[in-house]
Amino acid sequence: MNKIINLLKLGWAILSKPAVHLSLGFLTISGFIAGVIFWGGFNTAMELTNTEEFCTSCHEMRDNPFMELQTTIHYSNRSGVRAICSDCHVPHNWTDKIARKMQASKEVWGKIFGTIDTREKFENHRLQLAQNEWTRLKANDSLECRNCHQFDSMDFTRQSKRAAAQHSSALAKGEKTCIDCHKGIAHKLPNMEGVREGTSPH
Amino acid sequence: MKNTLLNKVSTVCMTAALAVSSIVLPSVASAADAVIDAEPQVASMRGTAPLNAELTPNPMEKVENNDLKRQRDYPQQPPTIPHDISKYQLDKNFNKCMDCHSRKLADEAQAPAVSVTHYMNRDGEFLGEMSPRRYFCTQCHVHQLESKPMVENEFVDVDELIKQSNQRAKK
Amino acid sequence: MKLTRRDVIKAQAAATAATVAGISLPASASNIITSSKANKLTWSKAPCRFCGTGCGISVATKDGKVVATHGDEKAPVNKGLSCVKGYFLSKIMYGKDRLTTPMLRKKNGQYDKEGEFTPVSWDEAFDIMEVKFKKALKEKGPTGIGMFGSGQWTVQEGYAAVKLMKAGFLSNNIDPNARHCMASAVGGFMRTFGIDEPMGCYDDMEAADAFVLWGSNMAEMHPILWTRIADRRLSNPHVKVAVLSTYEHRSFDLADIPAIFTPQTDMVLLNAIANYIIESGSVNQDFINKHVNFREGVTDIGYGLRPTHELQKKAKNPNSGKSTPIDFDAFAKFVKTYTFEYAEKMSGVPARTIEKIAKLYADPKTKVMSLWTMGANQHTRGVWTNNLLYNIHLLTGKISQPGNSPFSLTGQPSACGTAREVGTFSHRLPADMVVKNPKHRALSEKIWKLPKGILNPKPGAHAVKQVRDLKDSKINAYWIQVNNNLQAGPNVNEEILPAYRNPDNFIVTSDAYPTVTAEASDLILPSAMWVEKEGVFGNAERRTQSWYQLVNAPGDARSDMWQIVEFSKRFTTDEVWPAEVLAANPEYKGKSLYEVLYKNGNVDKFPLSQISPDYENQESKEHGFYIQKGLFEEYATFGRGKAHDLAPYETYHSERGLRWPVVDGKETKWRFKEGSDPYVEKGKGFQFYGKKDGKAIIFALPYEAPPEVPDEEFDMWLCTGRVLEHWHTGSMTQRVPELFKAVPDALCYLHPEDAKKRGLRRGDAVKVQSRRGEIITRVETRGRNKPPVGLIFVPFFDARQLINKVTLDATDPLSKQTDFKKCAVRIEKV
Repeated sequence: MNKIINLLKLGWAILSKPAVHLSLGFLTISGFIAGVIFWGGFNTAMELTNTEEFCTSCHEMRDNPFMELQTTIHYSNRSGVRAICSDCHVPHNWTDKIARKMQASKEVWGKIFGTIDTREKFENHRLQLAQNEWTRLKANDSLECRNCHQFDSMDFTRQSKRAAAQHSSALAKGEKTCIDCHKGIAHKLPNMEGVREGTSPH
Repeated sequence: MKNTLLNKVSTVCMTAALAVSSIVLPSVASAADAVIDAEPQVASMRGTAPLNAELTPNPMEKVENNDLKRQRDYPQQPPTIPHDISKYQLDKNFNKCMDCHSRKLADEAQAPAVSVTHYMNRDGEFLGEMSPRRYFCTQCHVHQLESKPMVENEFVDVDELIKQSNQRAKK
Repeated sequence: MKLTRRDVIKAQAAATAATVAGISLPASASNIITSSKANKLTWSKAPCRFCGTGCGISVATKDGKVVATHGDEKAPVNKGLSCVKGYFLSKIMYGKDRLTTPMLRKKNGQYDKEGEFTPVSWDEAFDIMEVKFKKALKEKGPTGIGMFGSGQWTVQEGYAAVKLMKAGFLSNNIDPNARHCMASAVGGFMRTFGIDEPMGCYDDMEAADAFVLWGSNMAEMHPILWTRIADRRLSNPHVKVAVLSTYEHRSFDLADIPAIFTPQTDMVLLNAIANYIIESGSVNQDFINKHVNFREGVTDIGYGLRPTHELQKKAKNPNSGKSTPIDFDAFAKFVKTYTFEYAEKMSGVPARTIEKIAKLYADPKTKVMSLWTMGANQHTRGVWTNNLLYNIHLLTGKISQPGNSPFSLTGQPSACGTAREVGTFSHRLPADMVVKNPKHRALSEKIWKLPKGILNPKPGAHAVKQVRDLKDSKINAYWIQVNNNLQAGPNVNEEILPAYRNPDNFIVTSDAYPTVTAEASDLILPSAMWVEKEGVFGNAERRTQSWYQLVNAPGDARSDMWQIVEFSKRFTTDEVWPAEVLAANPEYKGKSLYEVLYKNGNVDKFPLSQISPDYENQESKEHGFYIQKGLFEEYATFGRGKAHDLAPYETYHSERGLRWPVVDGKETKWRFKEGSDPYVEKGKGFQFYGKKDGKAIIFALPYEAPPEVPDEEFDMWLCTGRVLEHWHTGSMTQRVPELFKAVPDALCYLHPEDAKKRGLRRGDAVKVQSRRGEIITRVETRGRNKPPVGLIFVPFFDARQLINKVTLDATDPLSKQTDFKKCAVRIEKV
């Protein structure tokens, strides 16, 4: 967070100085260069907030979702290809990413006010937190899943019979999207009463 | 059989290998007694490892994951699970098994819905939903690894006994 | 789409089944109709063969074979349910390598300690046993022989064994494997209440508002009791479940309050809760005034190691169970230092979590059931830990009422019924009596019709001591029944294996299957098991249950009771009793032990005509009298009228068990409480009648560190235990293919960070080493057990990975029970 603030301060310092001795051409060119630098810096900063280190730098994330991720196939598997937090939770295209990052400001508030700073509080919010992600993924047709798991590249003959059946019907027809069936694949599920009948005690 | 040269050689090798190990073996055991240095004569579950030696264990086997129903030994036997459940959540929040095997979801998954006994409470009454005492499926239902049993089991299926009984009746 | 897929699966399944059978589909597969007579099964009841829960099982037999087993709907314990082991009981007797004939180590036709196992007749087996036992008795007296029995003996088998050893050979060197399992629980009960076994019962599980597990993984080890707790918790949202353990396991799946504590600091947590109860003003003053005394125990009591061990030499009061009376204020002062902050520092459990658990006890409206098994018992301060558990129930008066229940769970099917009640411990006699007490001996001599003063007053060697005595050649003839101590006992490498293979010793093992213990012995006797004989088990809630012989044992296999009784025929009183006793009581002269112990007018009192006509009873027929009934009824004499009352033997054949004391045909659910326990006097409210003044004791006992803690060289804690799918050392369950394939190999459960630090991956072969031995196993970082950093769990069911080569033979100095839950190890990639 501090890094971002420093970057912004630096940018503002440059911008707020009036040009006195410089030619328009120089200003245009240097403005362009500064723009590139700023743009690059901004995106670098964005990327920084996308790393696993950044995501797990607070204990809320480290002790809860990250702990749970470590026992799943998205963390450890036979081929060693793994997902980090942002692969699933941050959209890859720029506009959506910025929108998500702006939403994340709410999460900063959460951190400051300790909304989920104990295991118990995290458990109490688990359903709401999960629902936010399910809604987002449902709306974007499970885009973050599909960034890696491409429908066209699925070899149904290599899938279990049940999986092949579902993927070749409901998924193929667009009746269902990944998140409809694959909830709780990287973190534990909350009580699913009202979400999925018959799977949770009341 | 135990006195073959080959066996003696392997015993010596085993003893030598153990001597190198950082663990000091009890003197009584290693010095005086051929029995514990030898390949087990009756302890079937030890394989070929002498009592004072260690085998490298079998590699961790995969779970049988072919979704093929298996024959039951008798009608009351809980069916074993013909697929991998290692990543299933089964806690007080969520029961992944019921995600396919509940009455309401079995059509979608085409998995067998839990049987009628699962709706019975302690007093034998049928409840509207699955009885909470049956909530933790893995207390009765287990997956099967691809490991080969070390000892055969000679349990006789009741069908075989009925067949024999019918044959005796015919005679 | 669906149809096609299902069709494919069906076709494949049929083809697979046919291939397996090696035939084309048989016509009989579709021929369902058969004659009604051929189709008929005989259903009988029997208690489960496995754990201390004591589920009722319905057993189907046909043509001399067990063909099906399932949970008995009528059994109050399990009401139709059974765990996966229980469902597969029908296959435990049919492993292909069942022992069917005695086998003796022989070389050139003669017994030889280093010979090969050779089939022999029962006569030849008893011949050599007789020679060896007589030699040991002659050379060393009654302490020269020993017997190691089991909480899996039937009541009658355990009782017959106690008689043979204590009354026949006058040797108290008999101990059950329950020493490794329940001795600390016994110590706790005797110290706090003066009488053994839980005051409450399983009905508490339907009444409690909170459950607190103190070192018990009930989800795997007592699965059917866990179904009752799950039922209660999931049906009633106000109910809370707290699970305390040194690592995360399946019971945490139901936990509202999970807590992982540093090994041994359960004692700190318990004292902190006692302190909270006092400081928050939650003490039930009326209850403690009327029903409780306070005492402070002696400390620094050692670790039950050999007296030559450094740690043992350092102890100020080795093996002392002494205590002095104190008052409430002194107790309050004693626990005052156990604040939540101190407890958090010591245990690693956050203070707010401890507070949540403490509040369950402190709140007078919350009915709370504490449950514990090996976590509290297999503990170098196991008796103390049991005492501390009772403290918090006594301070709040939450005891002996539905739902308010400190409940010590039992490991084995008859650890209570046989090992404890019958008195198979080296210091005990039936019905909680002890050999040290002259009155107890006199009463036993009277019931057993023995000459006065003949019983040996000196407690014999307990389980771990027996092994040490064997290794030191103090015991030379030794008989092991229904247990697999070379796999289940501690420190196999330094103690048990050299003890059994000591050239001075003759080791006999009775078992149904060739275990590693059998392999390490000199004579193997083939045993009948479970429903191959008639018997009685007693479970953890004082429920006594019987069963008939339903099938015959294979080959020459015989029950342990038959073996004991037959062996007694080989000895005369002249050979084993002191000459002066015989001179004073000439009527006993020249009699065989069989005559004085079993044909004594009690055991042989009931004729064969009383045997059920519907069931076989080979043993009774051979002896000529209803021996199971005779042994049971003589044994029951000890407890009747003394708060251990058992019903008449026949009653148990028709009932699904009864909880003792059974008075006027009525069982007792809650002891020590007026109205529910007939032994409580009118107007008393509660009466802890095990103590003379009717008061239970609250003990001031501190935390004391374990004997071996991880250091630089051996940097991890090791905890061993069971898994759901296998019973103890797996000798039965590993022979059921479905159970074998469910959990074929022991694994080393390890935290992913610990694996990473050591460059280990899931599945890597690793050495687990301690100062005593090593095994090779494989790493599991994602399994059902999730240890914290610094601790590993390796189960002991796997004969190929004898984890007890690694464990330490430190015991509780009072109960002599081994601590299998903590020692220091290191792990290394192979």
